[in-house]
Amino acid sequence: MMDQDAQLKIQAYLDGELPEAEAQEIDRWLAEDEGAAALLSELRNTRKALAGHDQPLQLPETREFFWSKIEREILRQESPQTAPQIVPWWIAWRRLLMPVGGTVALVLAALIAGGLLGGSSRPAMETAAADTGALTYRDDDGGNTLVWLSYPAENEFAESQPASTLQ
Amino acid sequence: MRATLAIPALWFLSAFIMFGSSGLRAHAEDMKLEVQLIWGTNDDQSPDKNHQPVDPDIKKRLKELPLKWSNYFLVNRKRFDVPPLATKREPLSEKCAIEVKNLGNDSIEVTQFGKGQQVWKGTQALPKGKFLFLGGNAPNATSWLVILKRIE
Repeated sequence: MMDQDAQLKIQAYLDGELPEAEAQEIDRWLAEDEGAAALLSELRNTRKALAGHDQPLQLPETREFFWSKIEREILRQESPQTAPQIVPWWIAWRRLLMPVGGTVALVLAALIAGGLLGGSSRPAMETAAADTGALTYRDDDGGNTLVWLSYPAENEFAESQPASTLQ
Repeated sequence: MRATLAIPALWFLSAFIMFGSSGLRAHAEDMKLEVQLIWGTNDDQSPDKNHQPVDPDIKKRLKELPLKWSNYFLVNRKRFDVPPLATKREPLSEKCAIEVKNLGNDSIEVTQFGKGQQVWKGTQALPKGKFLFLGGNAPNATSWLVILKRIE
C-alpha cells in the first residue's frame, strides 16, 4: 500500500514540480514499481479528462499580492497577543477628574447660588414702615455698602428740618 | 470598578469636609466689629468740640461714596464682639443705637434704632475689612452716618 507522501511525490512528478535529481529517482521507482506506474497513469488520465473542463481562475489582483495577503494574515494570527495598552496615569486621572470636577463645580454653583457658602453679598433689607425710601449703593471693589435712609434724624447735631443732601 | 467609585467618593468627602470645616470655623469665632457714629457737614469745624475728624481711611471711603459733604466728624466709636448666633446692641448716642446679630459665615443682621424704635433692619455679608454705611439726612443740610466695620 502506497503511503500518502509517495502518492504526492508522483503527483508532483506529473506536474513537473520536482527537481531534476528527484525526478530521476522517481523515474527509476516507476520503472520498478507497477503500483506506482499505475497510479501515475491514472493521474495522467484524470488530468487529461479534466483539462478541457477546468475553468481558469482569474484573480482580481496579482498573484504576488494575493499570496502576500495570505502571508500577512498568517503572520498576524501567529503573532502573540499584544499586551493591554497601559494608560498613562494623567490620562486615567483626567478621565476621573473631568466628571468629578464638573460635578463639584455644579455643587459649588448650587451652594453659592443658594447662599449657603459665605453668605450672600447682596443685603436683604427690611425697612421700617416709616422708612420706605431707603436707597442702597454698593461698591464691590472698595468693599463698601451704603444704605441711605429717609429716616429724619432729629437732632443729634442741629435743630432745623433736613434737606435732601444725597448727590 | 470599586476604585473607580471610591475616588469620586473621596473627592466629595474632601469637599464636604473642607466646606463643613470652614462653616464650623466661621461659627466658632467671635466677630469683632467697630461701629462709628459720624456727622457729615460742609462746615469746616464741628460746633461740638468733642467731635474729631474721622480717620483718613474712613474719610477716603466716604469720598468714594456718592455723598456731597466735605467734612465728617466722629461723634462716637465703639468696638465690640459678637459671638456666633448672638446679638449685641450698642447705643451710639442718646437716640441712636445699633444691634448686630452674628449669623455666621461672615454674615450679620443689622438693626438700626432711632429714639428706641427700629428704623431699618437688614442682613449683610461683612467679611473682614468690609464696611457697611447706614446714613440719612440731618437738619441744616447735614447728615448722620453709622459705619460698621468688620475687624476680625
